[in-house]
Amino acid sequence: MTKKGTGLKIAISAILCFFILILAIRQGSVYISLKDLFGIISGHITGKGTPEGIEPMMDSIFWTIRMPRAIMAFLVGGALSVSGACMQALLQNPLASSYTLGVSSGASLGAAIVLILEISIPLLAGFMLPFTGFVFGLITVVLALSLASVIDRNVSNTTVVLIGMILSLFVNGIMNFLSTLYSDHSKQLYLWMMGSFSARGWKHCLILFPVCVVCFAILMLTSRKMDIMSFGDLQAQAMGVDAKKTKLVAIVICSLLTGISVAFTGVIGFVDLAAPHVVRKLFGPSHRIVLPMSFIYGGAFMALCDLISRTVLSPREIPVGAVTALIGAPFFAYVFFASRRKRA
Amino acid sequence: MKIRVKNLSVNYGSSEVLHSVDLEISSGEKVFIGGANGSGKTTLLRALAGIIPHRGEVSIDGREISSIKRKDMAKMIALMPQTNELFFPYTVYETVLLGTYAFSKSILGGISAENIQYAGKCMKDCGVDDLGDRHLDELSGGQLQRVLLARTFAQKAPFLFLDEPGNNLDIKYRAELCDKLNSWTRENTDGSDNTLVAVFHDLEQARRCCTRAVMMKEGSIIFDGDINDGTTPEMLLKIYDFDVASYIDNKLKL
Repeated sequence: MTKKGTGLKIAISAILCFFILILAIRQGSVYISLKDLFGIISGHITGKGTPEGIEPMMDSIFWTIRMPRAIMAFLVGGALSVSGACMQALLQNPLASSYTLGVSSGASLGAAIVLILEISIPLLAGFMLPFTGFVFGLITVVLALSLASVIDRNVSNTTVVLIGMILSLFVNGIMNFLSTLYSDHSKQLYLWMMGSFSARGWKHCLILFPVCVVCFAILMLTSRKMDIMSFGDLQAQAMGVDAKKTKLVAIVICSLLTGISVAFTGVIGFVDLAAPHVVRKLFGPSHRIVLPMSFIYGGAFMALCDLISRTVLSPREIPVGAVTALIGAPFFAYVFFASRRKRA
Repeated sequence: MKIRVKNLSVNYGSSEVLHSVDLEISSGEKVFIGGANGSGKTTLLRALAGIIPHRGEVSIDGREISSIKRKDMAKMIALMPQTNELFFPYTVYETVLLGTYAFSKSILGGISAENIQYAGKCMKDCGVDDLGDRHLDELSGGQLQRVLLARTFAQKAPFLFLDEPGNNLDIKYRAELCDKLNSWTRENTDGSDNTLVAVFHDLEQARRCCTRAVMMKEGSIIFDGDINDGTTPEMLLKIYDFDVASYIDNKLKL
């Protein structure tokens, strides 16, 4: 099923992605040579400690600040893109994504409430934010789906996407309201609404990483079903796919991926919409390849956007959501319309 | 194998589109489902394939279809719909291969060499073997129709449900489709006789491919029997409220 040259394209993409990650870790106000950087990384991984001749300050800048931040950006970008790719296939709508379905806004509202009211449940400890993100994200998408089924008995995919968009605008309104009401938190909330990776460390990565691995594995197992689902629910059922179950499982998994990502970093739009489209242009629509490549491309794009967000106006930071939209929107428009013109 | 339908009703929203239909279809039959637009042909086909909610009984060999697993259903009944949602431009080869999904054994949905070979045979049978690397959005309407037919055959099901398979096909391909269907119904799949249930708008095609006619009007079956009796001028007038016979006569004179 794989076309010739796909292997090569995957290899090039993986190498490119690796270089972007290195770039994202290395660039910034403090300079480091590649040799020292690899020294620090391998020192920590092998447990031998920092090599001689490298200042402890450098070690902490790169190992405890920049590296987890870049990896976090990569994981979040990947997680969002993969869920975007799934949503687009399952709802047969190019505009479907966790963002447009309201999962992101819902999750950010949940996180905001936890922040403002300073709620903590001892049992959940450090998992409070991701847990709330997931639950609120899921609640929003369930709300969107049930509203859609009340309004439109056939629960057509267009209705779902429209309602998701309406809900997400509504929830954004609540966020704005909250940030005015609790003005001491408004800066924090503002960052939440536009997304930021500032001060994200290893502890966040350590929660997100296993979630990504498990969710990604489950989605990969349904990759062929997703291929079939893109031909429409009825056709998928006739070909042996339980459309309802597949949709439900995938939506829960995508809400988990998105909800946790958003709870850590805030709402970052666009990457989940754009990355899968670019990947399909390059690799074709087969989900066995689209899913992993969406992760790599979305992750690399996010790492790059975060790099830009913290370096362009350094020492000030631009919210990363603004960067993804500023770069992503024109690029996406180009990719989308250039190919459309060719086809017409 | 035998499909039994008793007291079958289907609703779309609050309106009932099939009203307590009774029907039996046995292995090896070649059934034409006819009727005017909106008479419930497509709905009947979908209900028989178990892909829409229904009231009443639809069973295969005594088993209610809603209790049968999707994958097992797909191995028994292959349905080719009238319209298709083509959201992503898969290649022709990928599309036909997806037809074998129900036969993928591993949890990863891996594709066995046997299935790959079978998909190739279906492509050849439907005359699309030279289009393998083309994308669905690059095909003509007729080519696409044949690709989807190949995908339906790839399901290896002994029951073939076709909803206007002649759509978009030119007269030569329509004739070839009939030949193909006729040779397929003479074979048998997995030990049971192949069974064709098809909606046609082209009565000529229906007569060439089928021996039994089930004629529908306003959600009910008003005739079930030999195709020659089901397509008499009187019957067609009753079904379409339109003088089909003299229309066809006039057309042929042109």
